[in-house]
Amino acid sequence: MAASPDVENLTPDASRTRSREVATQVLLACSALLVLAVPFLGASPFFITLLTEALIFGIWAMSLDLLVGYTGLVSFGHAASFGFATYAAGIFAMNVSADFFLSTAVAIIAAAAVAFLTGLVVTRLSGIAFAILTLCICQVLFQISVVWRSFTGGLDGLIGVPLPTLFGREVEPGEELYLLTAVSLIVCYLLLRRLVESPFGKTLLAIRANEDRAAAIGIDVRRHKLVILIISWMTGGVAGTLFVFLKAGANPMSLYWIESGNILAITILGGIGTLFGPVIGAIGFIFIRDQVTTMYRAWQFSFGLAFVLAVLFMPSGIGGIAERIWRRLWPARSS
Amino acid sequence: MASAFLIEGLHKSFGALHAVNDVSLDIEAGQVHSLIGPNGAGKTTLFNCITGFLQPDAGKVFLKGRDVTDLPSHKLVKEGIVRTFQITQVFGELSARENVELAARSREGLNFDFFRKASACRAASEDAEESLEVVGLIEKAHLRPEELGHGDKRVLEVAIGLALNPEVLLLDEPTAGMSRTETERIARLVRQIADRTSVLLVEHDTEVVLSISDTITVMTQGRVIAQGPPEQISRDPQVQDAYLGAVEVGED
Ligand SMILES: Nc1ncnc2c1ncn2[C@@H]1O[C@H](COP(=O)(O)OP(=O)(O)OP(=O)(O)O)[C@@H](O)[C@H]1O
Ligand SMILES: [Mg+2]
Repeated sequence: MAASPDVENLTPDASRTRSREVATQVLLACSALLVLAVPFLGASPFFITLLTEALIFGIWAMSLDLLVGYTGLVSFGHAASFGFATYAAGIFAMNVSADFFLSTAVAIIAAAAVAFLTGLVVTRLSGIAFAILTLCICQVLFQISVVWRSFTGGLDGLIGVPLPTLFGREVEPGEELYLLTAVSLIVCYLLLRRLVESPFGKTLLAIRANEDRAAAIGIDVRRHKLVILIISWMTGGVAGTLFVFLKAGANPMSLYWIESGNILAITILGGIGTLFGPVIGAIGFIFIRDQVTTMYRAWQFSFGLAFVLAVLFMPSGIGGIAERIWRRLWPARSS
Repeated sequence: MASAFLIEGLHKSFGALHAVNDVSLDIEAGQVHSLIGPNGAGKTTLFNCITGFLQPDAGKVFLKGRDVTDLPSHKLVKEGIVRTFQITQVFGELSARENVELAARSREGLNFDFFRKASACRAASEDAEESLEVVGLIEKAHLRPEELGHGDKRVLEVAIGLALNPEVLLLDEPTAGMSRTETERIARLVRQIADRTSVLLVEHDTEVVLSISDTITVMTQGRVIAQGPPEQISRDPQVQDAYLGAVEVGED
């Protein structure tokens, strides 16, 4: 059309969409401020520690959302990204330096390397074959962590990982570690939000919808899958690094298949393809688990059951429902 | 005229079935080359072999003299060999505009751009806009495929193909399931886009094929049984037997 695009942008539809975007930004900014303000609102140390763990799981769940929600690759072995990073960061922190940035960088690079190597094989697959192979790879890493005692501490895991340092100063457990985690979550969210809205991010939607069609518009499906797998593992690596510092140690159970199941359930319950939904899922999971495990032994079973029911009756997850309500509050089109 | 696209001795078997058997085509730049033949003749299989979705058993594909036989699908698109699908395959969750924009960004080499906002890729949006304009879908660009009629969905396939700025556009039955008027709309469109790209068209409507094609290739059971300009094809007794059958071919 000959008309200038700037003039077209002033249609009522566009301005409504714009106002929704602004409202969304405001909401996100408020949420971020709230998360950062928690330690100053008189929360108990126990609550702070629990919320730290929840936010770490939130970062990890977002990393899985990239695969499941945005690319349509359901991984049954996503504990691998997290667990592997706990060892990489933990061993580095114990033996070389506990500098937070260095440890994170080491974990991220190590995770990227493993993602690249396994990705050469798994990106040939999709659907159930992808799910099973990722599960197998995670089990292999689990076995290695158990058997290679001299390096990983076997079933005991790594014990005595020091506190991280930031610009040469030790980060105190509790509030400071919480703030470090909260800032990491916000940074990861902003970067990933950018990623999924980028041209690259949109190609992932195309791949999820129809791989042949994606190839027919010139998308290198395997390479895109490989790249998103690497980015996903790197993000999981950030979560793993924070976790090893929170727990002052690493444990093979972080690589166990149950953890893969948990994070998958968290991501789906939270709402795939929304990024923020899985974070809410993670917070809910950690807090409910804390309430329930102390009084109820069949927790894992009930969580599984709750998950199945939720998938049946609420397939878009918490995030999906929240988005729908938000859209209704800020309708894009008149009437 | 220069030969834009050349297929030489292409073979593809599925077990004992020779789905494509020694097929050669020569498509000149800016021409509409139609491929006709009964169901199961091997037309789609030929498309799949040309566009990297199937590995041919033998034969070569040349684009402007360059051997592109072994390139994967996505690289062929970059080279300018673009296809549409017999069964509509558009991205259901995206609007028509977003479908076409995805293709336009791909053609501009933005598939690995991580930092820009997809919606801020101006040049791609304008290209997409133009494609939608050409196919006459601009008024419905905000609709999602499920909200479009069947005919418009087929047209959207073509718009996606056009946005990739092809050297050769392979259209696999773009009029499948269309009404008479819709078919004529596509026929005009095909003729119109031939001034920017060569077209290899699979089409069942013989009247349409005879009226818009520069060259016609007739296939049955994997083999080419006739090839030539419409006048020659419509008079070919072998073609009449094998394919055109009882169809009235016109007096002149
Ligand atoms: N992937 C495949 N595996 C086995 N046989 C196949 C495969 N694809 C196609 N065929 C067979 O090859 C033959 C040619 O099929 P093709 O789809 O190419 O025909 P067509 O000319 O496109 O027919 P139509 O007009 O119905 O679209 C058919 O007999 C079909 O059953
Ligand atoms: Mg066919």
